[in-house]
Amino acid sequence: MSSRKQPKGKIRPPKKPNSADAQFNDNWDRLAQAIREIHKKNASILSFEELYRNAYNMVLHKNGDKLYNGVREVITQHLEEVAVSQVVPAFPLSGASSSQTNPNGAGGANFLKVLKTVWEDHTTCMLMIRDILMYMDRVYAKTANVPLVYDLGLDLFRDTIVRSQNYPIQNHLLEVLLQQIKLERENEIIDRTNVKASIDMLLELTDASTKDTVYATDFENKFLETSSEYYRVEGQMLVGEYDAPEYMKKVDKRLNEEEQRVRHYLSQTTEPKIRNIVEEELISKHLKTVIEMENSGLIPMLRNEKMDDLGRMYKLFGRVVKGHDEMKSAISDYIRELGKAINETVTSNTTAEGGNAASGDKQTGATVAVRWVQEVLDLKDKFDKVQNLALSNDKAFQTSFNEAFEYFINKNSKSPEFISLFIDDNLKKGLKGKTEEEVDSVLDKTITLFRFIGEKDVFERYYKQHLAKRLLLGRSVSDDAERGMIGKLKVECGYQFTTKLEGMFNDMRISSDTMTDFKEYLDKSVLEKPKLDLSVTVLTSTFWPMNLSASPRCNLPPELTKACGTFQNFYLGRHSGRRLTWQSNMGTADIRGSFKARKHELNVSTYQMVILLMFNDKQDGESLSYEQIKGESDIPEADLKRNLQSLACAKYKILVKEPKGKEINPGDQFNFNNDFTAPLQRIKIQTVASKVESEGERKETREKVEEARKHQTEAAIVRIMKDRKTMEHNLLIAEVVKQLQSRFMPNPALIKKRIEALIEREYLERATGDRRVYNYLA
Amino acid sequence: HIGLSKDFSLILNDADDFNVIIQVGESKNKKEFRAHSVILRARSPYFKRALSSEWITKENDMIVFSKPNITPAVFDMVLKYIYTGELELKKYPGEIILGLLVASDELLLGELFEHVQDY
Repeated sequence: MSSRKQPKGKIRPPKKPNSADAQFNDNWDRLAQAIREIHKKNASILSFEELYRNAYNMVLHKNGDKLYNGVREVITQHLEEVAVSQVVPAFPLSGASSSQTNPNGAGGANFLKVLKTVWEDHTTCMLMIRDILMYMDRVYAKTANVPLVYDLGLDLFRDTIVRSQNYPIQNHLLEVLLQQIKLERENEIIDRTNVKASIDMLLELTDASTKDTVYATDFENKFLETSSEYYRVEGQMLVGEYDAPEYMKKVDKRLNEEEQRVRHYLSQTTEPKIRNIVEEELISKHLKTVIEMENSGLIPMLRNEKMDDLGRMYKLFGRVVKGHDEMKSAISDYIRELGKAINETVTSNTTAEGGNAASGDKQTGATVAVRWVQEVLDLKDKFDKVQNLALSNDKAFQTSFNEAFEYFINKNSKSPEFISLFIDDNLKKGLKGKTEEEVDSVLDKTITLFRFIGEKDVFERYYKQHLAKRLLLGRSVSDDAERGMIGKLKVECGYQFTTKLEGMFNDMRISSDTMTDFKEYLDKSVLEKPKLDLSVTVLTSTFWPMNLSASPRCNLPPELTKACGTFQNFYLGRHSGRRLTWQSNMGTADIRGSFKARKHELNVSTYQMVILLMFNDKQDGESLSYEQIKGESDIPEADLKRNLQSLACAKYKILVKEPKGKEINPGDQFNFNNDFTAPLQRIKIQTVASKVESEGERKETREKVEEARKHQTEAAIVRIMKDRKTMEHNLLIAEVVKQLQSRFMPNPALIKKRIEALIEREYLERATGDRRVYNYLA
Repeated sequence: HIGLSKDFSLILNDADDFNVIIQVGESKNKKEFRAHSVILRARSPYFKRALSSEWITKENDMIVFSKPNITPAVFDMVLKYIYTGELELKKYPGEIILGLLVASDELLLGELFEHVQDY
């Protein structure tokens, strides 16, 4: 007997003195026979109690290792037999992949079916063997540190069947599995049950060295490799054969199929890996090709507003790293391209119409501006819709679209003016017949464009000019709409941006009160009443965009001069210390003209009135030359030409010009047109309406803007330095930029010049010792 | 758990819904025990396997199980332990206690084995 220590306590089962070996052999023979019966499915003749007791006794008598090895041997023998008699005969015809002899993989399917049976038999038997060897598992296997008998059975199955050294079972199994999957990918119906059984088997077996499943070590990599290759080929084939929407549908279908496949018969751990492969081979590798497909790619989808396809692309391409970036940049480029086209129609239009812009017909510059804004708004609407319907309102896309809009809008240097003109147009006539909501939505849209403008100060300048004209000429349709627009600008840019605009409104209101008072004053006055009705609007010079500090030259008729004097006395009597200057270039007059046919009431500008009154002293047919008119009226040349044009070359020809023509030239002769007829009694001579500025005007505006920027920059510098007292150059520049960028993007060189100017004027000084640092001088 | 043990010992002694007959012992010292497979299987891994559908033999709808190498006296204690979880070892002679120790090892009643060993 062995002298090894008994593992358990002092109390021992009684020892049998006679030959233990004989007893063992007897017990073992019966057990081995029983296991064979189990393998033969004859278990019903066996007694659990007896077999268990046999094994129990063997372990008890320290023959656990012999028992364990014996069991291993019996099972191995059995599995070898199974391999030869069942598995090998079921091998599919040589070359499992030769689909000619085996078109539907039937041989393969049969092989899997046999394997399934073999595996199921083995596990069933192992469960029964485990039952009768439970004592061995509990007592022997644990102390001897060997696998439990069921796990031993799995390992033996792995080594004797799946990875048999004697027969190419493994090769056949893997090939058949991959072939079945390939068939399924090609829309053949396969028996998933058999495939799943084999896969489950591989998942239950463990690789000894990696402790991973045999599925992972033997199958998965091969599966992924063949899938990679399969989809690499398919990707190339599909991009060649299908258009973009069809291609994406196919990819969608493939992704879905692979996901289903994993769910039905592969391991869930394979799901992200196979998904990556399909995404890589079918999406990543063909991103650009699909986006750029002629007649069906991203741009044609946008052009034809194929929201479903765009949505599919967004979802599909979002799966891979570069997908959305490629889409974003393609769409942004497209927006820029469309924007460029819009900008180009404008420039070609303005140059084409440059010659007759002043002719006063519908093709004025203003329509170009309105059309430009409308086209930009339409474009914005289109991409808002895309964003909303196809792109899940993705913020990253929105940002990139906004940048594209910003880019081309600012490429058009006239955009601030155009947007202001668009608002002007809407507030003058476009809003008639629209509901308040419609008005609000138009203005809101306009604000979105306003946000894109880099030079908001330039916009402000134009807006002021256009607002001034609307107010002074009474062209504004709705006070509420005007205030609504100012409210929106205030929200965007703060009150500083709009104080002057609000001041203009105030002037209008106060002037209306003043006129009521003036009428009362005249009624009570003992002075001689003026022979004409005078209506005066008093403007605070700092609020209004025009240069109001000086009166433009113009010789007014004596009655008017006198009336003006009366008002001036009245007004200055109430507000001492103020100065009034008359802006004759901005007034209008109602005058009555007697023509051969009838009398007409003419609504004209002050200048036109001055010009027409000159003809009162003239006989019929007596003409005045351009030079005479100019000399007598002293009206500035540009204004004179424009007003003469309105009188002699436009719709209502109150004057007749010799020689005829659209342009006013020195030496032209003008006659009062006695034969003038018109259906209406009251006639409005079109004053020059708001329109796109001429190059000269633009230059002037630009200069004014630059001048204003100088002041704003200096003010910002002083504000900052007053607060910080001392500051380093770069920090100061950064802070100034930060404060001003909501209005315009200041150029560092400009800021530097302003700093130098302020040093010269002793607001600042350079710090002693460090010339990069400035001090504020109180 | 006193109530529970008591009720379960009643099931063991009186219940008429048993479905297992266990023949215990050899030759003269032989006795039939009646028990419930549900309880046996729930309490002992040995019986869990022994009474599984793969292994049982039935006579007249009764599971018949034979356990010759354990004496009825010892098996009586085993059953008591299985049903109630309690055994008062003091009441029994040492020879029976020894038999109980061996039986609890074979039947994989680990808790009982430890308990008897400590005793």
